[in-house]
Amino acid sequence: MAVYILRRLLQVIPMLLLVTFVVFLLLHAAPYDVVDAITTPQMSEETEAAMRARYGLDQPIVVQYGLWLVNVLQGDLGYSLVSRHSIAEELAARIPNTIMLVAPAYLAALVIAVVLGLIAGSRRGTIVDKTIDGLAGIGIATPSFWFALLVIYVFGYQLRWFPIIGMHSVGKQGDPVDFLMHFVMPFLVLVVAFFPELARYVRSATISQLSQDYVLVQRGFGASRRQVLTRHVGRNVMLPIITQLGLALPILVTGAIVTESIFGWPGIGPYFLTATRSLDYPVVLAVLLLSAVLVIVGNLIADILYVVVDPRIRIGAGS
Amino acid sequence: MIAPIALALAATIGLAACAQGEATPETSSAEATGQFTYAIASDPTSLNPINVGDRWGLTVTNLVYSPLARVEGDGTVVNELAESIEPADDGLSVTVTLKDGLTWSDGEPLTADDVVFTYTNKAVRENGNADLLWIGDQPITAEATDERTVVFHLPSVSAAALSNIATETYIIPEHVYGDVTDFSVSELDPIAVGSGPYKLAEYERGQYLTFEANENYYGEAPKIPEVTLRIVSDADTVKTALQTGEVDASFATPDQVAELEGAALNVNPYAEGRVAYLGLNAAKLTDPKVRQAIFFALDRDEINTGAFLSEDYYENAYTILPPSNAYATEDVEQYQQDADASAALLEEAGVSDLTLTLAYANSDPAQTTEATLIQQQLQDAGITVELAGIEPAAVFEEIQKGADSQYDAFLGGYIMGQDPDAYSLLYRTGASANYFSYSNPATDALFDQGAVELDPDARASIYADLQAQIAEDAVVFPLADNLKILAVNPRIGGVEDAKLVPIYTFENFGLLTEQ
Repeated sequence: MAVYILRRLLQVIPMLLLVTFVVFLLLHAAPYDVVDAITTPQMSEETEAAMRARYGLDQPIVVQYGLWLVNVLQGDLGYSLVSRHSIAEELAARIPNTIMLVAPAYLAALVIAVVLGLIAGSRRGTIVDKTIDGLAGIGIATPSFWFALLVIYVFGYQLRWFPIIGMHSVGKQGDPVDFLMHFVMPFLVLVVAFFPELARYVRSATISQLSQDYVLVQRGFGASRRQVLTRHVGRNVMLPIITQLGLALPILVTGAIVTESIFGWPGIGPYFLTATRSLDYPVVLAVLLLSAVLVIVGNLIADILYVVVDPRIRIGAGS
Repeated sequence: MIAPIALALAATIGLAACAQGEATPETSSAEATGQFTYAIASDPTSLNPINVGDRWGLTVTNLVYSPLARVEGDGTVVNELAESIEPADDGLSVTVTLKDGLTWSDGEPLTADDVVFTYTNKAVRENGNADLLWIGDQPITAEATDERTVVFHLPSVSAAALSNIATETYIIPEHVYGDVTDFSVSELDPIAVGSGPYKLAEYERGQYLTFEANENYYGEAPKIPEVTLRIVSDADTVKTALQTGEVDASFATPDQVAELEGAALNVNPYAEGRVAYLGLNAAKLTDPKVRQAIFFALDRDEINTGAFLSEDYYENAYTILPPSNAYATEDVEQYQQDADASAALLEEAGVSDLTLTLAYANSDPAQTTEATLIQQQLQDAGITVELAGIEPAAVFEEIQKGADSQYDAFLGGYIMGQDPDAYSLLYRTGASANYFSYSNPATDALFDQGAVELDPDARASIYADLQAQIAEDAVVFPLADNLKILAVNPRIGGVEDAKLVPIYTFENFGLLTEQ
């Protein structure tokens, strides 16, 4: 097992290098660079050249990539061109806010999806199944910015139940009630954004499990549908769901960009969107890098979980 | 596991219902909260008064710090920290006397040394905002002759200097920042000591900045004790937050006005002295006749009404200066639409099948409308326009390549302030922001004369000639001074006293009141 994980970890390193190098190349293919973005019309050409040298932009691209990589390995993601603030610090301040919103929403969506998926899958073709499947279809087809605006309109504007902006009221940091008030609407939007695909996944897994021979055997022994579902099918459906958790890792950082921006939630979303709009390359690069790392690490975790829950895979991988 | 979540949800909805009575102000609510909340679109880029240049950074600077004086929209000078400003007869120095008994928000006295300290550091080019304090190749220098007197020495005569010395230089305390070695940073540490009506209390990145009244402010004490700048990037969210009273004020777009007025908000349009324009790349369109032909094919009113919806929200611009500028004239070639003139000019120039590439910011709805209307109007004149909707930063990077640029024309806008000399950055040969690749020795000579002419009437006549010259050369088609629209909750009063001004929104937030 340890050997398997170690081997997978070693595979990750060249993959990350490749991903970051490609992103680096693409960003440098853009017609402007750091200095173009921070120079003012009044700056002389000598000053610009000196600044290029200071940022290492007069070096060949491979050297620049090397310098960047050394910095990243030391935890230095560089500085925003627009604000000149440390990107690592900005991310450190914002990522917890995003996780605080996305993690509960994803878990809630997962629970809802498992329950609805099992119910729908076990009653295939009935009204209940069609309703749940239809709901999931609508959910998948609904853009989250539109749903967010609808939620704001109904609960924020018409009913005036919840505040619209931000994570807490001014000066009420650490007040749990105030936080929950701000939390409910974006949470609801994210749950609706996350659950439909998971529900469909559980539903189809349930259907395929129910067609297995062991179900027939259990039925033959007189087990009720509830017993078959909870004791056997449910467990077999849960195994792939556990690995979904690994694959969901990147969502923790980039899964709520649109929703956060609409609610003014101080996470990665507004930061990333503002940076994109103002061509703030180092910020875009840092967020893309982070996202790529999480995709790769998430896949790794998913694979490891698979091995942990189903030892047959380890044998397959070893042979 | 579903049960706890359902419970939590039910609990919050219950809480929401309980809190509803107290926590949700109606737009018409007259309850005084001691707070004014203003929605801004993003974090300030810089909070350092030495190099700040962005709208929200300047708004914060204007809340926390004070300049020596301001130049009002009509060109008059209003003293702030200064008690008097006396230019010398020879035009080579300006003596500023500070008001008596000025103090910083921490109680320390504000002296002439602070002023010298500020101007000396701002005039350092590496710090990023020195250009207004330089005349030719020499900086303006400051010298303290006693506790309350500063003498500014000009390297050569400059009519623009008075305005340049007075405006947008916010004095910072030497006793706090005396040890700072690098003023090119975007945030000074600490950022809390100033001489403006408010002091910064708290800054949560990406969320809000809160300000408390400065009890040591030399002017009238702020009427609302707390000001909050709330950062919200989504325009629809801002609109709804205005309607629910979660924020008290924000900029609005013309298409939001009807709905906001329906929700009983006060809507205040005001001029910022901006010029929205269509620019031509003179390095590619070298024949002035062709450029004039393009301008004669355009219908300014149709473009402006399309982009800004109603005459309530714009004023036609005809020259390089915004219509509100004291030096602006309408006595220039205005290029009223004239299809015959356009066709005749094209024929004279021997040009047919003209094709132009027009660059514009596709994220800006007004520019998108302008671009499509221009395309349509030029189509009628037999000129084909290819539209290139891209990021604004990319437009200006590319257009500065002159003859090598992909673009023949572009849409833009600028706010350059009151003094006409500032516009030389855009129209002098080789100037840093000369996106038009425009060069005319006659224009350069007029800029030179205007900069050193101290007699106001003679100066006005020079700049009138200058505006006529640039209009005739047809590199810029000024469209309009499009107004900013500020929506304010009716519970907030004193908007007229606080005075709506370009960039800072309010000249003095401290004069707003709760009704």
